[in-house]
Amino acid sequence: MSDTGRYLYAIGRGMDDTDLSSVPAIDDGRLELVRHRGLDAVVSTVSLDEFGEEGLKQNLENLDWLENVARRHDDVVHAVASTGAVAPLRLATICLDDDGVRARLDEWYFALEQVLDRVQGRMEWSVKAFSAPVAERGPDLSSLSDGGGVGAAYLQRRRLATEERQHAESAAVACAEEVYEQLATASVASRRLRPQDPRLSGHEGTMILNAAFLVDVDETAGFQAMVQRLQSLYAGMELVATGPWPPYSFAMLEQR
Amino acid sequence: MTAHAHGVSTLESPAGQMALVDLIDRLLGGGVVLAGDIVISLAGVDLVQIRLHALIASVRADMAGVITP
Repeated sequence: MSDTGRYLYAIGRGMDDTDLSSVPAIDDGRLELVRHRGLDAVVSTVSLDEFGEEGLKQNLENLDWLENVARRHDDVVHAVASTGAVAPLRLATICLDDDGVRARLDEWYFALEQVLDRVQGRMEWSVKAFSAPVAERGPDLSSLSDGGGVGAAYLQRRRLATEERQHAESAAVACAEEVYEQLATASVASRRLRPQDPRLSGHEGTMILNAAFLVDVDETAGFQAMVQRLQSLYAGMELVATGPWPPYSFAMLEQR
Repeated sequence: MTAHAHGVSTLESPAGQMALVDLIDRLLGGGVVLAGDIVISLAGVDLVQIRLHALIASVRADMAGVITP
């Protein structure tokens, strides 16, 4: 068994060997193309101590290691995207040698062609919607009935607060749904991702929408204008649009 | 549209670089999945993701502790 493997970053088409010459690879390796049937797999050599099963298991839990690999991977994917259609691979896809890479290109040839056709001339945009935290309001004493005593008043206050919060939440969810539907009409494809924890998003409000949109490069301005329009329409939530990114969320292979 | 600073520095990309959490979500939850020769089970990856989120959360908490007065 060899002690090095080939790390697969992405698959493109019609690339030149010089396209990636200035882009650094993981562990200061060198990026190379494995060409097969018109597909170009971008690879570099990595140590199996680091990227073998045991190594990966440990390293994936090391945030510094993970960030470093993820950033390198992303830089390569961006560079490939600048040459044309790109199908990014999931993090840490390792083959033992170039024959292994070619075998995968063979096995998934049609699905990969399909992905590349789908994302050609298109980029991914992320749109997140945040609702402001629902303030804990003081009791609205005017609406409380007399004679219930302190305990009853407390329960009624709790019930009102809960109803108010539920109302605000369902209204926010409905708005987020509308934003998603509208943006879907301005894009080629759309996907909802899991909302991120506030500690991860770094945003105080509740993330009520975490969506990805595949947008024609030529339609970018229109998509952004739609985001602006929706933002002014729904002033109660904050929309955060970021991009353009390589089409990570739209590079899934169809089941054969 | 920009993310607003609220004391905690946001991971939203200022200059085109993706926030780490967005990148990890996509690199582990998106992209082309080809079974390579080194296989990590999907269940394992889910676990990794959860642990990772916990890690990022704790890192963020540390950062917040340093940055906010």
